[in-house]
Amino acid sequence: MTTNKPANPLEMVAYVLSRQISDHQVVYVGTGLPMVSAILAHKTHAPNITMVYESGGQNPIEGDMPWSVGDPFTWRKSPMIQEMAYSFAQSYNGYVDIAFLGFAQIDCYGNINTHMIGDDFHKPKARLTGSGGNNDLSSLTENMVLVGIQSPDKFPKKLDFITSVGHLTGGDSRKKAGMLGKGPVAVVTNAGVYDFEPVSKRMRVKSLHAGVNFDLAQLTTGFELLKPEGEIPVTDAPSDEALHILRTEVDPHGVFTSIPGM
Amino acid sequence: MGTFSYNPEAIANLKITDTSILDRLVDFESARAAHLAKDHSRRDKRMSLSEAISAFVADGDIATDAGFAYVRTAHQAYFEIMRQGKKGLHFIGSPNTNQSYMINFGVCAYSHNSYTGAEMRGTDRNYSRQLKNGKVKILSEWSHGSMAQGFKAAQLGVPGVFSKQLLGSDILRYNPYVRVMQNPMRDDPDPVVFIPALYPDVTVIHVHAADKTGNARIYGPTVNDIALAAAARKVIITAEEIVPEIDIRYNSKGVAIPFMYVDAVVEMPYGAVPGNMPGHYYWSRQWWEKAFRYACVSDDNMKAFMDEWVFGCKDQFEFVDKLGGAKWITMARRLTKAAEYDNESDGVDFSYQPYLPDKDPGIYY
Repeated sequence: MTTNKPANPLEMVAYVLSRQISDHQVVYVGTGLPMVSAILAHKTHAPNITMVYESGGQNPIEGDMPWSVGDPFTWRKSPMIQEMAYSFAQSYNGYVDIAFLGFAQIDCYGNINTHMIGDDFHKPKARLTGSGGNNDLSSLTENMVLVGIQSPDKFPKKLDFITSVGHLTGGDSRKKAGMLGKGPVAVVTNAGVYDFEPVSKRMRVKSLHAGVNFDLAQLTTGFELLKPEGEIPVTDAPSDEALHILRTEVDPHGVFTSIPGM
Repeated sequence: MGTFSYNPEAIANLKITDTSILDRLVDFESARAAHLAKDHSRRDKRMSLSEAISAFVADGDIATDAGFAYVRTAHQAYFEIMRQGKKGLHFIGSPNTNQSYMINFGVCAYSHNSYTGAEMRGTDRNYSRQLKNGKVKILSEWSHGSMAQGFKAAQLGVPGVFSKQLLGSDILRYNPYVRVMQNPMRDDPDPVVFIPALYPDVTVIHVHAADKTGNARIYGPTVNDIALAAAARKVIITAEEIVPEIDIRYNSKGVAIPFMYVDAVVEMPYGAVPGNMPGHYYWSRQWWEKAFRYACVSDDNMKAFMDEWVFGCKDQFEFVDKLGGAKWITMARRLTKAAEYDNESDGVDFSYQPYLPDKDPGIYY
């Protein structure tokens, strides 16, 4: 892999996600692209972040890319390892600044499904993993950032199962239902970056990646996207240096960010 | 019908006709009675794996998936449960990944579901297929954290805890045990979720070292296992090594499980193979990839895979031989130690060829 190739869509997602992190934050990391992004942030603009994993590891001294959130690389030389119940409690108690999670489906309020595709719980078209830590972090964390690939199936009007609550039915419904934190603050996909309109809490375009316009973004979405006022900014693309670090240090084997043929 | 008060909406959604099947998981009285009825003396509890599984795992028990899916998980004990043909177990755990392949053989029939899958190595198509074919019935849905709170409540010695997880989600509509309530400390509306203490029937926990009475030491993430050991009616410890009691006394910093919880102590080097045992051996990554990319594809593939690796293996040593024997052990030890602490200067390479369906890797890196 050379650095002169432009970012492929997964590398773009990883980069944009990494930019959501500020230095010195405590970051709760799920498996896959969230892991790649946190490590990229750590190696670029946010060298002093503390990563927390649900299997208990936290603040590892970095090594290779973890194979799983339970990998020794998630607790490499960690000062301590927490039990699972205590690890999530750090989000409840206000020690976690930001968490990243993936999804199989997301709706216009940032609610998430990782349970199943289909309308019959007992005979789904496909049964997926279930919640894992997804519901816990969505219920408790101050700032949630959601990441996934954008298509009309994955961005439906109605979820097949609500695994995790984002802004529930919009407005102040999340707060009324008793959850903590701001809920989802951003959604990062291969098409763009979205936020949530402050009153309705519906998903709104924040920026679109180079080559994507609003109509295309809308075409890949099963619900009506809100348009920001004024011109839609183009998402910053990664610098050569950031891409080089991503390809040679963060995910050198391309486990998470390579696309065959690209 | 059941003894306890269950959420009727969840019972209807889950299509549970006789709720007594739900009782034992939250039946504190019977768990306490089981703990009281144990011989509490500091006696020698060593026995073989087959004796321990035969004596302490009964058909229909609520069993746990412990460790973290493929980290310090007692896989070799699970395989013995399969070889002994135990039937109709309920599985609970955060994660609950290993229940999947046991469904195909009638070992697991019920699931308290939190997470079943292999993260980025792919969704578990076998679990999806077994569920659609009615081979496994989900008795309750959980998140990792809420289930962890249920186990922790048992360890704390309380009837349950109030949680801020699960609120507003469909998980509440598919979990008969948990209930949304008003926080009694507040006058303004403040919904909380009551999570009852959870008491599995039997847990098998793989540890680094144990003495013959069952005091057990864990290095690396304990995940939910200390709470599980405190809660379960029956506890089997499989240990990489048996050490003298004086070793436990002098290295007491890491003692995680006290002997009185424990019913059986099994000396079990390589007991977590093909998973990762912190300090001892790294995953067989290609074995897991083969499991998800080949075995999970069809029932026939799963049968062929398990015929080879479980029913065709007498014990963990035959399993390790199939993975690549001493060469595999050497590599797995080097990788896990490098992953944990010491590869900064000598640059151990973690790259490997992911499993390809048409190519037997020989050594399962």
